[in-house]
Amino acid sequence: MLLFCVSGNAQNDSVVSAINDSIKIQNKYGLRIGADLSKPIRSFIDDDYKGFEINADYRLTRKIYLATEIGIEEKTTSTDFLNVTTTGSYLKAGVDYNLYKNWLDMENMIYSGFRVGASTFSHTRNSYLVYSQNQYWTPQFSSDEAKDFDGLTAIWAELIFGIKAEVLNNLYFGLNVQFKMLLSETEPDNFENIYIPGFNKTYDSGGFGFGIGYNISYLIPFYKKDKAKETALEEIKESEEIIEE
Amino acid sequence: MKKISLLILLVIIVGNSGCERDDICAETTPTTPRIIIRLYDISNQESTKNAFNLRVQGVDNPDVLENYNIATTDSLVLPLRTDASITEYKLHKDYVYDDNGTPDDTSDDIIYGNEDILTIDYATEEIYVSRACGYKDTFKNVIVSQEDDGDNWIQLIQSVNDNLSVDDEKAAHYKIFH
Repeated sequence: MLLFCVSGNAQNDSVVSAINDSIKIQNKYGLRIGADLSKPIRSFIDDDYKGFEINADYRLTRKIYLATEIGIEEKTTSTDFLNVTTTGSYLKAGVDYNLYKNWLDMENMIYSGFRVGASTFSHTRNSYLVYSQNQYWTPQFSSDEAKDFDGLTAIWAELIFGIKAEVLNNLYFGLNVQFKMLLSETEPDNFENIYIPGFNKTYDSGGFGFGIGYNISYLIPFYKKDKAKETALEEIKESEEIIEE
Repeated sequence: MKKISLLILLVIIVGNSGCERDDICAETTPTTPRIIIRLYDISNQESTKNAFNLRVQGVDNPDVLENYNIATTDSLVLPLRTDASITEYKLHKDYVYDDNGTPDDTSDDIIYGNEDILTIDYATEEIYVSRACGYKDTFKNVIVSQEDDGDNWIQLIQSVNDNLSVDDEKAAHYKIFH
């Protein structure tokens, strides 16, 4: 049995020598904890938004990670006829699958994932202006008496595509896009859920939603596992092909 | 690296998708309805009857109602005030404005015809339409009446149905006999 290995700080030019040497390549397993940077950044530049999300994933196998996100959001939706503030929190849980074959002991991810998300939230209708196509009598009735729509919930399914790159030892930057599909929601009386925390803006045309995330996370390693011989062979071959190009 | 740049591109596209048709209230969306009143013949109550040279203007409104500036019609489509529970209209039949040959001098002007004041009382109810249109009003307990000025051309006012509500513009809500 031959094992192909490289020392911990493998660099590209060490790949060739790796074939002859016999050192172990190891994958790190552990809990990765992070935050979505896009939300505090948006909170800072957008007066109508406040949000924060922490996320975590736990590596189950070489390619499969259990993943979860938990967050809070406050979003004011404002049109010519309506001003509504939505506040609430959400929890998402699911699985990420790493599609990327790493060189040696690198731990980057290009991944696809699945989540189920749930949110509890409320809307406060701050003001509204009655819509009338005919403007013979103006202005139309308007009200800025706040009205609350409380105790609302929503559940959705989510597909995620993203990358995570180890920029420093155990420190990762990630970028992802989320496609969401609403499964169920409680409809407020004489109103609708125009925004759902975690799901984001809803659309009239259907129960679809979109999101992006920009994560920074830190891996707490629990243990290491040897990369299987087959995988290592395969990946070194690939590395060589790329270098030749 | 190709995969990564594709993903970054995707993020930028999704993040900037600004064309949101949901945010424009379409003209075809039914919003706050107007009251529809049909004019009928008092002596033959099954048939509609035109009012000639009819001029319609809201009381306390400086403008003549569009399409009713001296019109011949058997149908009135009147917008109701959403900021009040009463709307009044001046229905001026056989309207002729005679400036006596002196357009600059209004003191000798004469207005011919017969003006009746129509009063519409109601309660408004706000109904949610969509994120772009927001709320519309519908009108409940709509009562149409007129002031007796001793010389009314309107002789009878009748509701078309019993529920006295104006929820849409699909059918007439009231009948006026003259």
